[in-house]
Amino acid sequence: MNQYLSATVAIDAAIVAAQDYASIVTDRDPDDGDHVVPGELRRFLARLRLLHGVPFSYLVPDANLLPIESMRFFYIDRAWTDALVQGVLSVGTISTADRTQLEAVYPAIRDDVDEAERTIRRPIGEKRLEGTGGAITGFLMRSRLVSGWPNLHVRAYSRDVLEDDALTTVAESDPNRMKVLRMERLAPAVLLVLFDGVPAVVHIEEPRQGIQFGVRLDPAAPPAQRRAKVKVRDCNTGDPVPPKTTFTSANSVDVPFRRNAPGVLDVVELRKRLAAKAPNSGGTLEPNEYALQMLRFPYRQVFGDPDDLEGQKFYNLDAFKVSIALTTWKTTVAAKVNTVNP
Amino acid sequence: MPKTGYFVLHSNVMPKVTAGQYELVSEHTGLPFTVAPATTHVNVAAPRYTMPTDQILSTFPPANAEGAFGDRLPQIVLKRRTLPWERNPAGLVATSPTPWLALVVVAEGEAQLSAATPVAQCVTPDTVLLDATTDKDVEQGLYLAVTETVVRKIFPCQADLPLLVHVREVDVNDTELASGDDDGWLAVVLANRLPVFDTAAGKPVRYMACLVNVEGQLAELPPPQPPVNVFNFELAQDWSVLAAVNSSVGPDTRVVGGIDIGNIVLPSIAGGLLDARPGSAAQAAPLRATSSSPVGPAMDGAATMTQQSVGQQWSTTTEKVAAVALDPDAKRLVRDTMGSGFRYPIEAFAIERVLRFPVLAHWSFTTNEGATFETLMQDVDVGLLGTIPERAKGAPPAGAPPPEIVETGHIGLGHRSRRGDAVRAWYRGPLVPFPTLRGTAGDGTLPILAHSADQIRRVVPDGREDLSLAAAFEIGRLLGLSQLSVVSALLRFRSEQFGIGRVRELLASVTPFAIPALTDSRIDLSRFVAVQMFGALVKSPDQMIGPRRPVADPGRPLVVRGDLDEVIASGLGLDLDAVRKAGEQVGILAAVAQAQVPIANTRGNVSLDKATLATMRGALAGELKSALDVAAPQLRTVPGGTTGGVPGGPILRPRSARVARSAAAPQRDALDALLDAAAERDEDES
Repeated sequence: MNQYLSATVAIDAAIVAAQDYASIVTDRDPDDGDHVVPGELRRFLARLRLLHGVPFSYLVPDANLLPIESMRFFYIDRAWTDALVQGVLSVGTISTADRTQLEAVYPAIRDDVDEAERTIRRPIGEKRLEGTGGAITGFLMRSRLVSGWPNLHVRAYSRDVLEDDALTTVAESDPNRMKVLRMERLAPAVLLVLFDGVPAVVHIEEPRQGIQFGVRLDPAAPPAQRRAKVKVRDCNTGDPVPPKTTFTSANSVDVPFRRNAPGVLDVVELRKRLAAKAPNSGGTLEPNEYALQMLRFPYRQVFGDPDDLEGQKFYNLDAFKVSIALTTWKTTVAAKVNTVNP
Repeated sequence: MPKTGYFVLHSNVMPKVTAGQYELVSEHTGLPFTVAPATTHVNVAAPRYTMPTDQILSTFPPANAEGAFGDRLPQIVLKRRTLPWERNPAGLVATSPTPWLALVVVAEGEAQLSAATPVAQCVTPDTVLLDATTDKDVEQGLYLAVTETVVRKIFPCQADLPLLVHVREVDVNDTELASGDDDGWLAVVLANRLPVFDTAAGKPVRYMACLVNVEGQLAELPPPQPPVNVFNFELAQDWSVLAAVNSSVGPDTRVVGGIDIGNIVLPSIAGGLLDARPGSAAQAAPLRATSSSPVGPAMDGAATMTQQSVGQQWSTTTEKVAAVALDPDAKRLVRDTMGSGFRYPIEAFAIERVLRFPVLAHWSFTTNEGATFETLMQDVDVGLLGTIPERAKGAPPAGAPPPEIVETGHIGLGHRSRRGDAVRAWYRGPLVPFPTLRGTAGDGTLPILAHSADQIRRVVPDGREDLSLAAAFEIGRLLGLSQLSVVSALLRFRSEQFGIGRVRELLASVTPFAIPALTDSRIDLSRFVAVQMFGALVKSPDQMIGPRRPVADPGRPLVVRGDLDEVIASGLGLDLDAVRKAGEQVGILAAVAQAQVPIANTRGNVSLDKATLATMRGALAGELKSALDVAAPQLRTVPGGTTGGVPGGPILRPRSARVARSAAAPQRDALDALLDAAAERDEDES
């Protein structure tokens, strides 16, 4: 037993302390699990990884990279964000021991922050996601869409599982739906969205503020002669009359307006016109049926490969169906074999 | 209740009775004596002049929002499903499918929203309301003052009213549709006007949506007109010029008349009565029809005046100010601010009749976009970051030269070196147009952890520096330093970790025992010692407590000489040969069962002769001797003999001369072995 401490012992202890104690758990968060890095530091670094607070000119160094009315997709360069985090960690490293210790603990910090990235934006009721850091992608959008339609809905899917014009969405917890790590308006007209992974399809949808009622204004009409149309729906099912994308005389009516009044609908006349065209209307529309006709659903823009029918192909392959009798198949094959190899 | 994601639309939900005061009289007849009827007063309450905020679930467009709302009808969603039918707009007691609520959308400058006013003045004068004096939910309310022209242009017709209100039934758990309602039944009131953008002028338009009470004023609503298929945005009547009226002119001028209101042209009344109104208001002849003069406009001296008498103006202004001052409520302030722009004193200047409608709720919003979501979305230029929009061929070059961007996403930027040389360097932000590898996995040239930005400056083959990562490092350092809490958290984290390590290492070097492992909880020392002691005791109990005596000694080995069958047969007195012989025929078991066993003597009838006694004595002596041999080996009388009957004991291992010697001793048992082992260990350790 040593009765005293020599300088050698002290230095040895310092060296071992700097190198071997990197995995001490300092943070035991009942909600967030055990971590080496304290929660506040971990969350700050994770927010930094998601580019919170990084000046915009570091993200887009030239205005030509993000012109007006444009949208730019990107991958996040992990080396860059790692350098960002290393910059923070370098604060206050003075001695060799500090740096040795930092080098030893850095892998633990990196793994902790990788995990914390996913917890920065966590919608209420969603499960906490765990996992190692993967690819982060996203897009920047600079458009009047961002300023004019606050609270745009952005959804990304790893597989194209939803029909483009489906009224519903896939639940946030669905495995095919990618988690949004960050969605923020950096400026009134600039939107930054980060996804956890590489999406196959991205949907951007008009904000859904409850159910809305309205008409379709004709964008081509001259300003002094504006017109509008309403598509008719089947009164029994609520489905719009096909075709879905175009306005024909069979599936839409012209909206009647009050003379000399700016944009005031002639409700009674509109009801009459709708009643004449809507299937199963019985010749007239009750107030609820009229409301059904006037329902408008948010517009959804889909970004992705238009030919990518991955989801459908997959399920078609799955559905194996016997179409000929086994004996027929056998004789056919035998006949083929005989012709090739008599 | 409908499924989540689905909803049911109903035309209306009628209450049993309308709001008001009822007298419930219960009479009892058929009794031999008379019973006085019992009278109960029932008050069915419903909002009349203001909508309680807890009854408003949502509005569209959201209050104070800016956006392209031009193709959507504004709506307000009310929580109580019967609300729109709780009063009869015709002023009757019976219920009516025509709702008493209408949502009116006015643009800035078309109408006037009042300040808080006593409710009796919130309706057009001479309007007859049912129980006007008794049935009022608030003392002061707001009203919307609109000219007849505006009413005729933008208010819904009477036939429109039922179509603009419906009831929606949704699943209460569906946040998107119900958003916090209690029973899932909601009344929805739609407007009849699209809040369109001013496409011609390209200007945003501010609108205010007002939920108004049309009770008693159904006759004032416009009659149906032949519809047209096109419309043009222009204000129904533009009173915004009133904002320019110099309000500082003295009251004398106003009373005498002839205020110079500059070149302002007030809106003409409908019907082309005064199409070109002269610049000065002084020449306008007709007076407001609502003049309160008791002798009529012709006889009143005010007939020559252009404006309302100043006393009236003053009194309303003071009333308004007083009313606002009375209510320090912030909500009111917000609503007032939202109503600004709808406060032009139309009533004071309008020539035609001005109608008043009580406003139960109002909110304003701005339509700031002519393009629709769809057209804008389809015109967006989509690409990976680093894509530069192509300039049309032959187009004049823009002022600045295009940026120097290469396929890797790097951009050339001006850079001043430390020596002061102006050079160009490459920079690439965190957003890159292709997937990259992380850190050292790439080319192995990056350090695991950079301690300074210079470590990750790179020179690319063209001789220029790539400062991307160095820039990232520096901005990270600055962002970290900019937050004191982060710096202190970082330093605390590192010093704690290092401190724990150092204290442990120092303790480990001075203490003779192992330091307890790091755990999450604080260590209770006595408990730790106890646990450690138990561990040591269990690990080598013979050392810490003492050797353990086996529960039982193994027995002496039985020595059998010769054929086992013969030994057994002779011991039992059987004829072995006979048994074997019989066994070949009937099986050995049956043969043994059949064999006759000789009986030496029957019970209680022992005959001992000398020969027998001698034999027994000999046997007893033999047994005694063998027992004594075990107890006292030195008295050994039997030479040779056993090689130890203790199975598996260390005694069989000839490890030393001493053990070998012990092994030679006969009849050693387990206790001997333990004692020997303990002695041997002590010997080794000393």
